[in-house]
Amino acid sequence: MSVAWQFYISTVLIYLGVDVIACWGLNLQFGVAGLVNFAYIIFQAAGAYTAAVLTLGPAKPARLGGFQQYIGGAHLPFPLPMLAAGLVGGLLAAVVGGFAIRRLRSDYEAMVMLVVSLIATSVATNQVGLVNGPNGLALVPKPLASLVNLSPIGYQWFFTGLTVVIAVCVYWLVHVVTSSPLGRTLRAVRDNEQAAAALGKNVTGLRMLAFVLGGVIAGISGAILVEFISAWSPGSWLYPETFVYFTAVIVGGSGNNFGVMVGALLVPVAFLEATRFIPQFGPPGLIDALQWIIVGVLALVFLWFWPRGVIPERRRRFPVAGEAGARRSPLRIGTPR
Amino acid sequence: MNTLVPAIGFGLVTASILAVAGVGFTLQFGVTNILNLAYGDIMTAAAFVAYLVTRAGISVWLALVAGAAFGAVFSVLLNRGIYTPFVRHGTRLFGMIIVTIAVSLILQNGLLAGFGANFFSLTMPRPSTVHIAGMVFTNVQLAIIAIAVVAMLLIHVLLRYTKLGKAMRATATDPDLARSCGIATDRVIDLAWAMSGALCGLAGVILVMNVTAFTDTTGAQFLIPIVAVAVLGGIGQPYGAMLGALVIGLASELAAAIISPEYKDVVAFVILVIVLLARPQGILSEIATRKEVAA
Repeated sequence: MSVAWQFYISTVLIYLGVDVIACWGLNLQFGVAGLVNFAYIIFQAAGAYTAAVLTLGPAKPARLGGFQQYIGGAHLPFPLPMLAAGLVGGLLAAVVGGFAIRRLRSDYEAMVMLVVSLIATSVATNQVGLVNGPNGLALVPKPLASLVNLSPIGYQWFFTGLTVVIAVCVYWLVHVVTSSPLGRTLRAVRDNEQAAAALGKNVTGLRMLAFVLGGVIAGISGAILVEFISAWSPGSWLYPETFVYFTAVIVGGSGNNFGVMVGALLVPVAFLEATRFIPQFGPPGLIDALQWIIVGVLALVFLWFWPRGVIPERRRRFPVAGEAGARRSPLRIGTPR
Repeated sequence: MNTLVPAIGFGLVTASILAVAGVGFTLQFGVTNILNLAYGDIMTAAAFVAYLVTRAGISVWLALVAGAAFGAVFSVLLNRGIYTPFVRHGTRLFGMIIVTIAVSLILQNGLLAGFGANFFSLTMPRPSTVHIAGMVFTNVQLAIIAIAVVAMLLIHVLLRYTKLGKAMRATATDPDLARSCGIATDRVIDLAWAMSGALCGLAGVILVMNVTAFTDTTGAQFLIPIVAVAVLGGIGQPYGAMLGALVIGLASELAAAIISPEYKDVVAFVILVIVLLARPQGILSEIATRKEVAA
């Protein structure tokens, strides 16, 4: 395989890894816990920003040749910026969730989150001292680049491997959460909040937990992305990006971790990456516009024909002891999944 | 003081545009309970219709009518063609948000694909300025305020003194009861979309009459202040929306004058979030919080 192809394939794989991880986090919030987080991209952005700042080192003042201003710079060794990114994503989720997770109708909840997303973009763009304003950050060093000492293409594959390892860890986390009694309770809260509360479940606490875990995962996905592309700007984290992730989760099958992975492969990667192969035509910006139209149409088509996605969430049946269904199919007892 | 008085003047103009847009938004939301996030993009589409009309050499005042007519027809078709089928198909609150955002993205990027990423402006009559009590208005801005006042009066007369207005208010309060009382709720819903769409189109055109240039995202950027106006005034309450428009229009222009122009929209955002979180039932009223989407 030629080097150019290897570069292309490894890049697509890394983007896929980032999108899959992000979709798992969103699935935990939306698919499993039923939280309509239309500010999801903000948590990814916050994680990315944290990882960038913690690898860039302290900001140099302009008179010493510094060209970007930000707060809290440091040089931390490799895994720490990513862990910090997860931590910040989770903390931000705790703050936002603290005031935004209320008993609101789901479309109002989406509205509040959408507005949070817009406010965050507005503040990040206008307060230049915070994250270098609309220009964002650049020249973020790549992790372990000096340590592993590989050729550029070798490093690409090394980073791909790193992404896969992180993705596997995140999958393990979401799998543990969704297949445990905790996941069952979260789904119960999603499907019938009043019933779950009546059974003594702490509804607000559970929703908050799912929200914060989703925030942690979003932060980690952002960290991988920023360490790979080594740049960060508020303009690339606008709310339509959240819509892409929502479309991916819906297309794949909300509530099903495997389905969501397929969704991430189909929507952000296949539809947004495959269009690179189409020869450039029309005025600049036309292809971008068509991509967004395709994503919109895709969301509508799936909501109409397959609202549960290509790989729907498995329906879990829990026969009650003594119920007719339980006697007829004894095998189901004890194997609820 | 020197900056505040002109800011109040700008605030009145912004409030006029917001009032037209906000009343249209709240009427439709109140009757059908669908949070139509494509509203801002329909405004942009109407502005482009007006742009085409003025480019054909026709006066901007006829372009206003064309924009409003386009908004009305487009909104009815959008509801009949996409929203109502989805609601009947079983799509509920969150699903409808995805549907309206998808429509918004399709519309906005359709305009971008069709017209290109350029700045557009309407061909306007020769500008002149008028000084009123320390505030400076252009003749166009005065016309915008007059259009808004007339539109609001018409809405008031329609809602208070006609049978249609009564039927609309009944459908907004309880669609099932309204239907069993013999009100043709389907027709009322169509008319609500048409009225809301006409106001939406009108608002889109007066919005771009007031700016030097507009793009495919101009209406979408105006959406959150509109929602803020509707929510502050109480969903489905046209009079509340008028008041909300005044509050948010003045507050955002004053914030722009006192803090910084970039924070103009943040004021509306913050008001919206506070109202939604602090008193969703109180201000949105019992009706809106309990009801499902109506088709």
